Amino acid sequence: MNNLDNRKYVIILMILLVSLIFVTRLFYMQVIDEKWKDRAAEISENKVITQPARGVVYDRNGEKLISNVVYYDLRIVPNQAIGIDSAALVELLDITMEEYVKKMNAARKYSKRKSSELVTQIPPDEFTLIAPELYKFPGIFEVERTLRVYPKKCGAHILGYMNEVNKNDIEKNAYYKSGDFIGRMGIERSYEEVLRGKRGVKYYLQDAIGVETGRYENGKYDTLAVQGKSITLGIDWELQSYIESLMQNKLGCVVAIEPGSGEILAMVSAPTYDPNLLVGRRLGENYSSLEKDTLLPLFNRAAGATYSPGSTFKLLMALIAMQEGVITPETGFPCNQNLVGCHNHGSARTVSDAVKMSCNPYFYQATKRIIHQGKSTNGFKDAAIGMDIWASYVKSFGIGTDLHIDFPGVMKGFVPNTEYYNKIYNQYGWQFETIYSISIGQGEVLVTSIEMANLAAIIANRGYYHYPHFVKDIDGTGTPDIYMQKNYTMVDSQFFAPIIDGMWRVVHEPGGTGSKARIDSIAVCGKTGTVENSKIINGKTARMTDHSVFTAFAPMEKPQIAIYVYLENSGFGGTWAAPLASLAIEKYLTGEVSDTAKENRILNANLIPDASDILPPKEPKRRRR
Amino acid sequence: MRNQHDNTFADLDWTMVIIYFLLVGLGVMNIYSAVYDPEHPSLFDQVTQHGKQITWIGVSLFLGIAIMFLETSFIKKYAYWFYWITIMLLIAVLFMPAVKGARAWFGVGSFGIQPAEFAKIGVSLALARYLSSGDLYKGKTRSASVSFWQSIGKLRNIGPLFALLLIPAALILMQPDAGTFIVFTSFILVLYREGYAGNILLFLIIAVIIAVITLVVADSSFMIPGLKIKLSGKTGIVVSLLILGTIFYFLIRSFILPRNRPPLYRALIGSLIVAIVFVNFIEIGYSKILMTHQKERIDLVLGKIDDPDGKGYNINRAKASIGSGGFAGKGYMKATLANETQAHVPMQSTDFIFCTWSEEWGFIGSFLLVIVYTVLLLKMIIIAERQRSDFTRIFAYCVTGIFFYHFMINIGMAIGLAPVIGIPLPFFSYGGSSIMSFSILYFILLKLDAERKVVLQ
Repeated sequence: MNNLDNRKYVIILMILLVSLIFVTRLFYMQVIDEKWKDRAAEISENKVITQPARGVVYDRNGEKLISNVVYYDLRIVPNQAIGIDSAALVELLDITMEEYVKKMNAARKYSKRKSSELVTQIPPDEFTLIAPELYKFPGIFEVERTLRVYPKKCGAHILGYMNEVNKNDIEKNAYYKSGDFIGRMGIERSYEEVLRGKRGVKYYLQDAIGVETGRYENGKYDTLAVQGKSITLGIDWELQSYIESLMQNKLGCVVAIEPGSGEILAMVSAPTYDPNLLVGRRLGENYSSLEKDTLLPLFNRAAGATYSPGSTFKLLMALIAMQEGVITPETGFPCNQNLVGCHNHGSARTVSDAVKMSCNPYFYQATKRIIHQGKSTNGFKDAAIGMDIWASYVKSFGIGTDLHIDFPGVMKGFVPNTEYYNKIYNQYGWQFETIYSISIGQGEVLVTSIEMANLAAIIANRGYYHYPHFVKDIDGTGTPDIYMQKNYTMVDSQFFAPIIDGMWRVVHEPGGTGSKARIDSIAVCGKTGTVENSKIINGKTARMTDHSVFTAFAPMEKPQIAIYVYLENSGFGGTWAAPLASLAIEKYLTGEVSDTAKENRILNANLIPDASDILPPKEPKRRRR
Repeated sequence: MRNQHDNTFADLDWTMVIIYFLLVGLGVMNIYSAVYDPEHPSLFDQVTQHGKQITWIGVSLFLGIAIMFLETSFIKKYAYWFYWITIMLLIAVLFMPAVKGARAWFGVGSFGIQPAEFAKIGVSLALARYLSSGDLYKGKTRSASVSFWQSIGKLRNIGPLFALLLIPAALILMQPDAGTFIVFTSFILVLYREGYAGNILLFLIIAVIIAVITLVVADSSFMIPGLKIKLSGKTGIVVSLLILGTIFYFLIRSFILPRNRPPLYRALIGSLIVAIVFVNFIEIGYSKILMTHQKERIDLVLGKIDDPDGKGYNINRAKASIGSGGFAGKGYMKATLANETQAHVPMQSTDFIFCTWSEEWGFIGSFLLVIVYTVLLLKMIIIAERQRSDFTRIFAYCVTGIFFYHFMINIGMAIGLAPVIGIPLPFFSYGGSSIMSFSILYFILLKLDAERKVVLQ
């Protein structure tokens, strides 16, 4: 049977061959091919990103302006979601049937066993109504997440809001992943990196269904989430909230600064809105309605709008003129209405008088002397020289320059100079008479309210300012150095005295334009402004009711607050802006308001412009040189 | 004569005993890891699979010792009895209530008997008895090479032989238990060794190759370049076969003396016809007769479909588990896929038991386990070949064949080289019936082998 004996070798060979194939295959699978390791890891390991709590934002007194609160996402597991009364569900969750169907289909497509989003970012008050009913709907459960809450319901323009990152954000900064939230507008945005903290990651092992079963490598690779740092702002929430209530039914803005530090005490843009509207699942629709509002509630007028300053600008003119030596505090000018129109008042024999009476021709003539200093016999060339001098002074007061505010979207004012006028009128094609409007705060000069509040602070400080800023402290490290420095203007402090004297008289002397700003116990210094303006309606330029403006600081000695109020299309500065400013000042300095009639008048006033604010065209003034 | 009882253990192959304990011991350890439940941490806890496995091992050892004290003549004499008893059990079980679509068990859950497992023993004993009885001498071939027709002629004489095999096989298929049915094809190995199936085996292998190719192209079609005719894959094969046939024709014409050609021509034409019929048979069976899930299993092995988490879920998880073991494994009790809590691999303690082992002990571990089984199989062949008794030799080859099949398919399935047929890895997989039947086969073999020096049994 030799041949048959050989067969046993065949069998042995077969066994060895099979074993060899196995060993080779095992070697390939276990040692060489990484794919199975990766696949195994894919199946059995997973990670969850832990989002840190965002930093809390406090006001100057430690009150929470922005904090975190728990919201709820509802998730659904298609396999378990059987026999659901979908009509009852969509009613409970306040969604449409189409949305529900869409979400269900997406969930089924993604995975029948794992959960998918159903409704996200449900606020806690809504959720307390939903939670007790959830048992009726199998396969639906809630997951917590934290979102922002604005407990004081004020300061929407200051604080900003948050929403999900988009492609741009991710491209710009690799930290962000899809699904993260990022600050938009305001403090949420300018301090995004401070507030956001650092996310953590937890690696875990999972079973065949995707349910977590244990930590990966005992958490060796895990990192803890780091909470965002908290920030204290210089804002006084009670002041902010009070001014917002005063500003209801009005268009305009108010900025209040603490002169000694440059901290912004309040910044109001009207109309405003409750910042809590832009949180959670309602964000989209709320944002939409705000966007569509023709009064532009989302627009921050205080930081983003440039206006003509009007008579409040005259303060600056006098200061420059005195510093240049072209006038002295005792200089007087006649109220020559052929130069420029004015209201009836006595003669302005000093700078202080001029400030109190707000005499247009006075400042016309004073400014002319700045522009035409006689450095050239040719008037046109002279203007060209003087103009740049004038412009550099104005800029030294922080107008039209970068004020290094820790805030996004801040505009700069516009300061015209020689180059600018050359473009319009050609070189040497202009003189003061052409551009005189700037002397009374009209014309080409444009300012932002922050810049003008800063000007008030400069006067309060008698000649210097800190860069206006919101942050008072970051996580215990104090105010950044840049805000500690004093920035001096080109005008010596001695020249501020007559200005301040005049401002005091504006409020306290009969005949002063700002008498409505008087407060019994406080020495308020202020300056009114009544700004002419026009709008294009149906293709034609139409004059509108003047803007009402008031700039002020108080108390006169050791000022605590400098404020600038700008009310669009409301009338005389002394009629509306002045009393509003004084209410804010009094509230801030004493905590209460003595003149409730004044308060009620302002609270109840509706100054939103309508058709009645369109004025007939002005008679052209005949002027004689 | 020596007193058989005194020398029962004299010639016992102790290496085999050691291998037995090694495998069952590692098996229990491995099952412990595969099904570890912190609430039942004790190895012996009867609620757990490893606890039960220990019990079954104990029972098997008891049976094994009992077998040791049997007389080999007793075993041989009652071979047919055992066979018929298992046949009756196989018939009876078909009347039991169906569990998961199959009628394969007597009894309840883990305390039942699977007749199919014992049928393997019965058939092995009966086959050994039948083939050693000397009646069939004229059926054996004397040389390894013989013509195809002669082989067929021989087969006609040994119809009862195939009946012996096919009756239990058919009964098992009726349960239905395709897995165990396929194990029955391992008996062809025995037939091959005993000289009954030489060329048959060769043709079978060629048939398998043709079948596999047919299955791979069964659903597809191709375009003839140039002409715009679309042909089915099957047609492509037939055409290839015809071309092959033509080549062989010319080969025969060139190299064979004219007088020797006619039988070869006949053989060639005959094989072509059979091959073409076979191709069609396979194709029709695959497309029309197989159920979808069976079709998909085949497709998966052939690589026709590739889906990480769908139909091939078992295989892919198993492969991932094995592959992630790396060179040295993740450590005992540290498998992250093939373990109880995470349970990524289905049937971790039975069909895919190899996965837990591979994941935990890596390539070193899986290599060693393959070596142990290979050594076991080779030892069985050594045992078989040193027998003077035909009965023992044939029985030994039966055992070798059965163990080889289980080894080949179970591990092959786990590493993705064989279709998923749920059969256990001997001594390693959890299962009372499987442990017992493998142990009984094993110990009968050892007992018979221990008596090899005794003059003719």
